[in-house]
Amino acid sequence: MPGFDFSNYNRNAALHARGVPLPKATSTGTTIVGCIYDGGVVIAADTRATSGPIVADKNCEKLHYIAPQIWCAGAGTAADTEFTTALISSQLELHSLSTGRKPRVVTCMTLLKQHLFRYQGHIGAYLVVAGVDPTGVHLFTVHAHGSTDKLPYVTMGSGSLAAMSVFETQWKPTLTQQDAMKLCSEAIQAGIFNDLGSGSNVDVAVITPDKTTLHRGYVKPNERSQKLKNYKFARGTTAVLNEKIITKDEIGKYVSVQTVEGEQMEVDS
Amino acid sequence: MSMRIVPAGDHATTYTHHLRTPGAPSAPGLYDTLRNGIGSRLKAWEATQDAVRMESLRKTFGVAEPIRRGMELKTVRDGAWRPLALGGGVGGSSSVHEDILRGRESHIDWEDVFTGEEQTAGGVIGIHDEMERKLKI
Repeated sequence: MPGFDFSNYNRNAALHARGVPLPKATSTGTTIVGCIYDGGVVIAADTRATSGPIVADKNCEKLHYIAPQIWCAGAGTAADTEFTTALISSQLELHSLSTGRKPRVVTCMTLLKQHLFRYQGHIGAYLVVAGVDPTGVHLFTVHAHGSTDKLPYVTMGSGSLAAMSVFETQWKPTLTQQDAMKLCSEAIQAGIFNDLGSGSNVDVAVITPDKTTLHRGYVKPNERSQKLKNYKFARGTTAVLNEKIITKDEIGKYVSVQTVEGEQMEVDS
Repeated sequence: MSMRIVPAGDHATTYTHHLRTPGAPSAPGLYDTLRNGIGSRLKAWEATQDAVRMESLRKTFGVAEPIRRGMELKTVRDGAWRPLALGGGVGGSSSVHEDILRGRESHIDWEDVFTGEEQTAGGVIGIHDEMERKLKI
């Protein structure tokens, strides 16, 4: 059956009837933010990937490419954000080839919300969509159930409350690019230090009408310090008692490989 | 005909103490959203979308328009055949003509990526076997 396959449902129900416990729902942790400034838009994300209480990846990438001037930050189920953004990226490219125009951010947002609404939140992708197109600078959030928001500054994920508090106290209607990058990275750091689900570094992407610049590891507030001791032995610690050198002959002495001209092997699938 | 844009939910409009549908396995009294909600919704999605499109065409241009489109679609569907060795299938996601008629030529979806033939890809039957079977030689 193409697409999503629900055939394991019966197997799982049968297993459950025999006393195998069902998996528990896991909460996901992330901080992602976005902020419009004069002449462009900045999105930022932390880089911690968790699976339950375990940090699965300390430096993962949560900023996804959709089109050259449209990028997306993803929270929720990592695989779902990854695949959904890749799928919409392909669809947007096909659409722009078919219409012969540059893709618009609203088109991307509409494609995403229609796609996610269809699956009723079972695809756990919570996204911040940002971009610049011929109609101007845009910033949206898309929730897994298909609802969307359009705001000058947005936050999402479990650290969204900590990040929003930074925006609510420090955001100004007029910001320069440097101000916006600083504000976004501070919002992410509020998430990193106050939310257990977020951590490690800050990734920032700056989208202007001309180009997109991705700053991977823009701030690294959690650099791992040097260990106090190391257990490497200095060279020569162990004495060499004796030494024996074995040399092997070149294999070309015994075997030679020749290619036969004009007698191609028949390859049949 | 209705102008419904998403498939109807099978939620009960009245309350009884007997569940009409099988409950969730972990909590038998509860409504099972995965089984009863999303599965049937996805199955009926395309058909619902097609129905509303045809219904609006009928209201704008008269009944001839959806009938013509239906006939064209059937002709294309009957004519389209691709050998299994090349991805196979009659119509569906493999037919570009059908995609154009349904206005989906610039779409890509989960069904196009996960075609459901990942399991059988190793043991695909050859073109000769397939033709022999098809023409009953």
